Amino acid sequence: MPTEPCAAIATVTRVERLALLRLILLQRVFEERALALYRQGRVPGSYYDGRGQEAVAAAAGLALADGDVVCPLNRELAVHFARGASVAEVFRNVLGRATGPTGGRDGNLHFGAPARGVFPLVSMLGDLVPVTVGAALAFRRRGEPRVALTFVGEGAFSVGDTHEGLTLAGVWRVPAVFVLQRNQFSYSTPLARQAVNPSLGERIFGGWSIPCETVDGTDAVWTFDAVRAAVERARTGLGPQAVEVVTLRIHGHAAHDDGAYVPAELRAAYADRDPIDRLALRLALDGVPDEELDALRSHVERDVAAGLAEAEADPPPDPSTLEDGVWAQPPRGKQSGVGGQTPPL
Amino acid sequence: MTEVTYLEAIRTALADALREDERVFLLGEDIGAFGGAFGVTAGLLEEFGAERVLDTPIAEEGFVGASIGAAWMGERPVVELQFADFATCAFDMIVTVAAKTHWRSGQAVPIVIRCPTGGGVRGGPFHAGSLEGLFVGQPGLKVVCPGTVADAYGLLRAAIDDPDPVLFFEHKALYRRLRDTLPPAGHRVPIGPASVVRAGRDATVVTYGSGVSLALDASARVEAEVEILDLRTVWPLDEDAVLASLERTSRLLVLQEAARSTGAASLVLSLVARHGFELLDAPPALLAPPDTPVPFAPELEDAFLPSEESVVTALEELLAY
Repeated sequence: MPTEPCAAIATVTRVERLALLRLILLQRVFEERALALYRQGRVPGSYYDGRGQEAVAAAAGLALADGDVVCPLNRELAVHFARGASVAEVFRNVLGRATGPTGGRDGNLHFGAPARGVFPLVSMLGDLVPVTVGAALAFRRRGEPRVALTFVGEGAFSVGDTHEGLTLAGVWRVPAVFVLQRNQFSYSTPLARQAVNPSLGERIFGGWSIPCETVDGTDAVWTFDAVRAAVERARTGLGPQAVEVVTLRIHGHAAHDDGAYVPAELRAAYADRDPIDRLALRLALDGVPDEELDALRSHVERDVAAGLAEAEADPPPDPSTLEDGVWAQPPRGKQSGVGGQTPPL
Repeated sequence: MTEVTYLEAIRTALADALREDERVFLLGEDIGAFGGAFGVTAGLLEEFGAERVLDTPIAEEGFVGASIGAAWMGERPVVELQFADFATCAFDMIVTVAAKTHWRSGQAVPIVIRCPTGGGVRGGPFHAGSLEGLFVGQPGLKVVCPGTVADAYGLLRAAIDDPDPVLFFEHKALYRRLRDTLPPAGHRVPIGPASVVRAGRDATVVTYGSGVSLALDASARVEAEVEILDLRTVWPLDEDAVLASLERTSRLLVLQEAARSTGAASLVLSLVARHGFELLDAPPALLAPPDTPVPFAPELEDAFLPSEESVVTALEELLAY
């Protein structure tokens, strides 16, 4: 089947379409590099990528205004780039460098940026739903026209924290947006074993009366249009909003997982739905010359290579700093030692 | 000087904080018009309105998580858990999210979680527990357990000022039993230091929360000068204060209402074994309930909890060694 271009939605400008492509390419090229590094043994732990879902991250990142806040997860690298993270900054975290945003205390995309309104990822999925709702509650209490957004996969939709957070969002009528990532698998568990009703949109509307549009998450233009509309509805005081994005997680849960459990027919259904191809085709139909798209891709590749070189040259963390910053304000007097360390008498 | 109950001191601290700092707001189950399960927040909705005193659905994980999000945005949320026992429902948010965030990201999480704690009110296994031990030793958290009226006020004010997540274990049996002078408005008791509430040279009782008044009553009946060290903050532990008292007395009784293998006792005893061994004239003693849930029937709960009698006996045995 030939690739179908992204929808021709007139309210998404050419500048926005190009910005989406740049963010998607940044995530794709970065993740390909990171996975290669992992295979070379240069990334501690594992690496979690969002192949096939990059358009969702790019769309959500671009849909937010400067004062908005966001809790991205592992599939949403492009959100960090949309909020202003540099390639080097992300690589420093992935590689566990002293200069990274967590200074080697956490890896992968487990980092935030207080100044850019990004909360650091927590691996217990669902936890960030109530946190997002609380940030939105602060905006509502202060009468600020700001929005908080997070992502919920079908796996996290089974978690109690998510249910409690959605309940609070509705009862408190806060400006929160939930992007529901229906990527067909939670680690190895297919959607059919995660929920009776596979439609996250029906569940969030039926259970919590939160309006939800369902879109094709491989279509960056459509997804951006839907998330931006949801963000603006939340901003105007219409309460919590949701967008369900349907994709396929093309890679395994992480670099150590080959995803062999994904049925061949499902893979075949997504073979021609690559978000980059779909958006590039749309831009070509818009009249953007091939050379401009090629230049954009080359630029991104250069940026990723340069960012990696910068991060790799940085030093590892100093073990003597391990106990720094456990508390924002260490209590007075000697502390009972973390890690079994007790101050000598 | 106004004389107030321990409960009124807590309510006054909340009201003063709400009045002085617009970032402060309260959230919890039934805390608004109903005034909270124990009446601690009675009248606050009327004075401060529904945006400052926020009733929540029954969703501890949810509203503790929401307090973290609000704190991230610069607010100073004060959560009321209806009973300390319900902290287990919010454990993930407290330990996974609130406790670790500053260390790994530099983002402070200034939340206070008020936990009405303890037995003596016939609450049974789900409404009378002393759960502070679940949080003692968790890096990033602070755990305070006031045992006096002045500390109930001053530690709560300090907790609300504090940039870290603070668990505030207020004892239900002390709510109306303790009565004392209200400290001056704005009084703070720093988080961290323990306090010698009774000086002595024959033995030290290290305790906190409900153990403080119990130890005071019991030590008045013992023919010896018993020093009582109120930890006030049980995590992180004021190690210097414990060892300094032991240097004066050479005998140690750890008294707590939490079951013997939880609470703060193990931390104190571990410290003394490692760094106070040569100060001791007798094996350190522990008076704490058995390792069971809190029972319901009065005969069982009375047997479970430390009593004035049992503290006197424990002190006499320690002094006779």
